[in-house]
Amino acid sequence: MRSITITINGIECACRAGDFVKEVALAHGIAIPSLCHHSALPGQACCRLCIVEAGKPGKGKSVVTSCVFPAEAGLEVETDTEKIRRLRTNILELLLDRAPLGGGALAGFASEYGVTDPYTPEHPDEKCILCGLCVKACEKLGNSAISTMMRGIEKKVGTARDLPAEDCIGCAACAKVCPTGKIACTEAGGVRTIWEQEFALLPCPVCGKPHITGREYDWLKARFGADGDAGGTPFDAFDPRICPECRRRTSSAHAGTLPASP
Amino acid sequence: MSTHTIRVCCGTGCIANGSRGVAAALREAAARAGAPAVSVETQVKATGCHGFCAKGPVVAVDPDGISYYQVKESDAEEIVASLGGAPVERLLFRREDGTFARGEADNPFYEGQVKIALRNVGKIDPLSLGDYRARGGYEALEKALAMAPEDIIAEVEKSGLRGRGGAGFPTGTKWRSCAACEETQRYVVCNGDEGDPGAFMDGYIMEGDPHSVIEGLAICALAVGAEEGFFYIRDEYLVALDHMARALADAEAAGILGDSVLGSGRRLRFEIVRGGGAFVCGESTALMASIEGRVGEPRAKYIRSVQKGLWDKPTVLNNVETLATVPVILKEGYEAVQELGVGRSRGTKTFAMVGKVKNGGLVEVPMGTTIRQLVFGNGGGIAGGRPFKSIQTGGPSGGCLPESLLDLPVDYESLDANGTMVGSGGMIVMDDRNCMVDVAKYYVGFLAQESCGKCTPCREGLRHMHAILTGICEGKGTEADIERLEELGFTLKEASLCALGKTAANPVLSTLRYFKEEYLSHIQDGFCPAGVCRALVVFGIDAEKCKACGLCAGSCPASCISGEGKQPYEIDAARCTACGNCRKACHFEAIHPEKRMAV
Repeated sequence: MRSITITINGIECACRAGDFVKEVALAHGIAIPSLCHHSALPGQACCRLCIVEAGKPGKGKSVVTSCVFPAEAGLEVETDTEKIRRLRTNILELLLDRAPLGGGALAGFASEYGVTDPYTPEHPDEKCILCGLCVKACEKLGNSAISTMMRGIEKKVGTARDLPAEDCIGCAACAKVCPTGKIACTEAGGVRTIWEQEFALLPCPVCGKPHITGREYDWLKARFGADGDAGGTPFDAFDPRICPECRRRTSSAHAGTLPASP
Repeated sequence: MSTHTIRVCCGTGCIANGSRGVAAALREAAARAGAPAVSVETQVKATGCHGFCAKGPVVAVDPDGISYYQVKESDAEEIVASLGGAPVERLLFRREDGTFARGEADNPFYEGQVKIALRNVGKIDPLSLGDYRARGGYEALEKALAMAPEDIIAEVEKSGLRGRGGAGFPTGTKWRSCAACEETQRYVVCNGDEGDPGAFMDGYIMEGDPHSVIEGLAICALAVGAEEGFFYIRDEYLVALDHMARALADAEAAGILGDSVLGSGRRLRFEIVRGGGAFVCGESTALMASIEGRVGEPRAKYIRSVQKGLWDKPTVLNNVETLATVPVILKEGYEAVQELGVGRSRGTKTFAMVGKVKNGGLVEVPMGTTIRQLVFGNGGGIAGGRPFKSIQTGGPSGGCLPESLLDLPVDYESLDANGTMVGSGGMIVMDDRNCMVDVAKYYVGFLAQESCGKCTPCREGLRHMHAILTGICEGKGTEADIERLEELGFTLKEASLCALGKTAANPVLSTLRYFKEEYLSHIQDGFCPAGVCRALVVFGIDAEKCKACGLCAGSCPASCISGEGKQPYEIDAARCTACGNCRKACHFEAIHPEKRMAV
């Protein structure tokens, strides 16, 4: 990719052509608020908080979505204009009204922009802002057990027919990416409860701490095990039952046995 | 020996009015009359839409140039018997001055119409490839096969043709961008997911002339270097789906499509994909997601579909009417389209005119025709002689224009500058008995249901706009509501993800722009002047105008109208539900809305 320069809030930012403006800004220490963006799961563009004004010099600026707007040479971006703040305030009002109990980042931005809900919420207990990150995480990391359902004002996230999903492997990727704490995931006595299902956790073979669900382990093994493809490395060498802390230790010990990188 | 062809409109509208029965009756009558003694040869043809839907079933006789309207099965005998002689006068169209129009040539409904996209609709049997070819069908494709792709694109560019599905993007430019892509696996898509309430031109083109759309897409594929294409057609369009599928099969069987297009060695494979009924799937990126089998949601279009569309491959998507126009450009030259229209809007546009207009139907006129010509010329004015109030153009996310803009030319730029759009070409005419707040509420409610729900402003903003408008219609509105509506409208317009959200506030913003006083009557006076919002209205009888005919009392479901003998009738306001039946029933304009008083 070609290296180019764009200007964000008057600061010259080097990046590659096609990089998303929001990521470029972040790399240069300019934070743009957003609720549906995750660097590993890009392309949502639905919360609309990351809007900025952008345009080529002399051509006027328009409101664009920085998390999916590709950088091109000479682009000028303003992330915090009066118009953008006004729009973000309106969007936050709408989100707060939709999810009055939405915590985390939503509550943080609401207080940063001094926003309170001017409407009467229809569902006072709601936390979900329909950012769609959980669905995307399930699609990429899990087994597509959840999806958005219905459309328009009826839209929601759930499992098929709202029944405990056979496809769910209990990996909890959805809960980890949720920006508002909507997806309940609890662990007690070696059992994880999520999406109204209980999943037995397997102990880490090194330290014995419960870590991965049996269903997830079986699913990974079926995909990447004996007949599967784990990038040329034997599945057992990356035993997913090993918890992250122990993995760090075993990986460094194991490093010497791996083929040299090309 | 004289030969006559009787064309019976079998478009969806006329079918609903019994045209298939009429066609069958005409065939029988013709067969009976075909006895050796009668020197008349008659062919009865089921065709697509003749345009004049308000007066269906429509039957036309060639070569006599006669058109009959509201024909019943029982008229068949008489029509057949009249062939070659004087027309059946009672079935002709009666003009405003009481005289009869013999056919389309002297019927004001067809005045000023130029049929390019609709050139064959109503003229041919849509299921007959022979009929299509007899009128020069597939000659443009043959020509295109002998041309360099660059020359096809140049011809389309010179015609000035722009997307007829709503956005008005120059068709040639779109094709050129796609043809210039490095990636060689490319796709072409025909958007037949027409979903605007009141719009039916794309459906009727697919029903009445499916081969023209197929030919258009085939030419598009040759120009951009694609071998595969899709027709995305909404599942509710039963007749269109059927006709398109049969036309595709016929074209393949005849070697027009397939492994060697018209013997050229070029390969073209087209497939039909049925839309599942989501309005948003008419949006190009949502449509492509739907074809791929994903959830029908739009994506941001900073990287355009001509670069990365279906399965991330360069894709050209055109609307049905756009594609139906393409063969004419190649066959007759770009001038056929370019010489019509105004400014940057060239050629013709088909409009589906419905609502309170007297003669509704499908009209195709040059761009730049005034709204007045459409409504009062072709449309014959307002039904029942009531006053014109507003015209809604461009589908649910278009806007409502007032009487003062009747002389506005209909083209992309003029409509856009006045808060509405050409859109797919729906036109809904409204009279003084339409409440503009109620109309805005209807459209916003429709869009709230049909929004994909992906982005915040559209999903949540429309929900709140609908709640606010409902409040105003129920007499709970405040002046702060108007500011709130404007602010939400601004947010939708600027911050929504796709064109549906960006334009969804148009019905509210345009009615606030042109009919603000009506909002204020609801809010400040607690009264709906159009007599529509039932919480704010009761009906009253003007004693001077009442002829004591009793029709109102007979129509009242609440039995709250009373009267005796020659005395004016009275409505018991306390029991009136403001359904409006009495007002509709009254022939003397004696019934009017009054403010409903709090109990």
